[in-house]
Amino acid sequence: MNLPTAVRTVRWMVRDTVRQSLATKLFWVMLAATAAVTALCLGARVENDLPPLTSDGDIPAILPATEAEKIGRDKVKADGVRVIETDPDKRPRLTLAFGAVVVPIARDRTDAVRHLQVMLAGLLADTAGVLLALLWTAGFLPNFLEPQSATVLLAKPAPRWAILLGKYLGVVGFVFVQAVLFVGCTWAALGIATGVWANAYWLAVPLLVINFGVFYSVSAFLAVCTRSTVAAAFGTFLFWAVCWGMNYAHHRYALLPPDGVTALSSWLLDVGYWVLPKPLDLSGVFFGAMQADGFAAAVPELKAVQSAGQFHPEAAVFTSMGFAAVTLGLAGYELEMTDY
Amino acid sequence: MNAAVFENVEKVYRDRLFGSGGVAAVRGVTLSVPAGCVFGLLGPNRAGKTTLVKLLLNLARPTAGTLTRLGEPVSARRTLGRVGYMHENHAFPKYLSAAEVLAFYGGLSGLPAAELPARASALLERVGLADRRDEPISRFSKGMVQRLGLAQAILNEPDLLVLDEPTEGLDLLGRELLREVIDETRAAGRTVLLVSHALPEVAEVCDQLAVLVAGRVAYQGDLETLTRQPDGSRRTLEAALRGLYTQEVAA
Repeated sequence: MNLPTAVRTVRWMVRDTVRQSLATKLFWVMLAATAAVTALCLGARVENDLPPLTSDGDIPAILPATEAEKIGRDKVKADGVRVIETDPDKRPRLTLAFGAVVVPIARDRTDAVRHLQVMLAGLLADTAGVLLALLWTAGFLPNFLEPQSATVLLAKPAPRWAILLGKYLGVVGFVFVQAVLFVGCTWAALGIATGVWANAYWLAVPLLVINFGVFYSVSAFLAVCTRSTVAAAFGTFLFWAVCWGMNYAHHRYALLPPDGVTALSSWLLDVGYWVLPKPLDLSGVFFGAMQADGFAAAVPELKAVQSAGQFHPEAAVFTSMGFAAVTLGLAGYELEMTDY
Repeated sequence: MNAAVFENVEKVYRDRLFGSGGVAAVRGVTLSVPAGCVFGLLGPNRAGKTTLVKLLLNLARPTAGTLTRLGEPVSARRTLGRVGYMHENHAFPKYLSAAEVLAFYGGLSGLPAAELPARASALLERVGLADRRDEPISRFSKGMVQRLGLAQAILNEPDLLVLDEPTEGLDLLGRELLREVIDETRAAGRTVLLVSHALPEVAEVCDQLAVLVAGRVAYQGDLETLTRQPDGSRRTLEAALRGLYTQEVAA
């Protein structure tokens, strides 16, 4: 293997992928989505929020506003009693887009903002964003590997595996840039608008990139094997659903083993869990880092394995990344062995 | 010294998953392409010409036999940096401009990045695309893409220039340009391997040629010997080839 040639190849392929993503308008579409969500966050306000709980398991005393008035609001507040307001304008709420969207809340300012960040990173970016990026980039490799396009390229001294690796890194790098922009802009916008600067939110960047990178390796493998955009896109979506299902089923089984399950089924479930990527566990890592237990309901199965001490976040991350590396290696081997 | 050598080369295309459906494209080909000449590769459709080119350029793997390229086994990919390749139906990435295409392929050939802009400009000037250098090639006609393909093939001043049906889609001026490039390559002591159906063109430019029929070499030598009849008179290249095809098919 000639390392300088491989490095040069990877560099050129990354550069080419950046051009490709700009040309397909994907960059601008995702940038526009980030800008829209950032504007929404800039217009966020937390009003009439409640004081934070003092410790885990602290159940605050509550009193209707009419009763609090009788006792005296200042005295009630000094005693740490929460007042339930009857006037809608005095109730705690989170408003978005400069008041256009009003969400009632029952928590303090920090938790309200962190809850919003969990929704932004966990649902919008990690689910909708990742699936959209997988769909959009599914055509990058098949188009590129069509014999009419690929023959001159593959007749260069560039190793085939380095061509594939460069393309993969280019796409993942593109998603990294988009993730940094999305998380950075929404973090700054929420900080400016509400005064809450939740640094754990930045953990969403590596988790988003790992999650995308794992599934894009499957897309790359399917693209090399079939040279079909449809197969790469839908095969990856199917695999994504299987991984979520396997991850969920494994934890469900660990929590409540159903009757009549054979040792073989149990072993297969364990093997499937450890071999396949673990998207539910990755989202659990983010949920934990955001200390979201205090304001959002975790997936019960995930919470149960966490409580039972059977949740291994580092192992989940590294085995998922290992799966991506093996899949990409297989894709490289397949490309190397393909006749054009 | 030979630019390319094929020894008992065979290529059978098989289904990779099941190993079934074998189609023999090339059978026991032994052939030498001398350095410094223009070598024509002729034959009817499905004779195995393009397969031979693919084997030479590592686009396919031989089932049996050995191949050398520029004095080294074809597995040594570094020699591909001294090869230029142009084929009839190339599709460059449509999101690149003409200048970017040359920079991209030149970079992958191992040309120093600092030299690429000047080389690309000179070549675009030469192939008549200087005024379109920054336009996306999605707007190019087939003839313009072929001209760009020619520029891409000679960007690294190759020791072995492989042209697979290069005149497809080229207009008269484009063909003249191609002829100039072939003549210059030969004059510089480099080798051209030309695969073509355009017989007049082959007759004009080739010093040596090989004829493939049904995956086998039916003839290798010069044009004069091929067209000379037993009584000493000459026949056209078409007539000579027709005779060869008929003989081989009958055999």
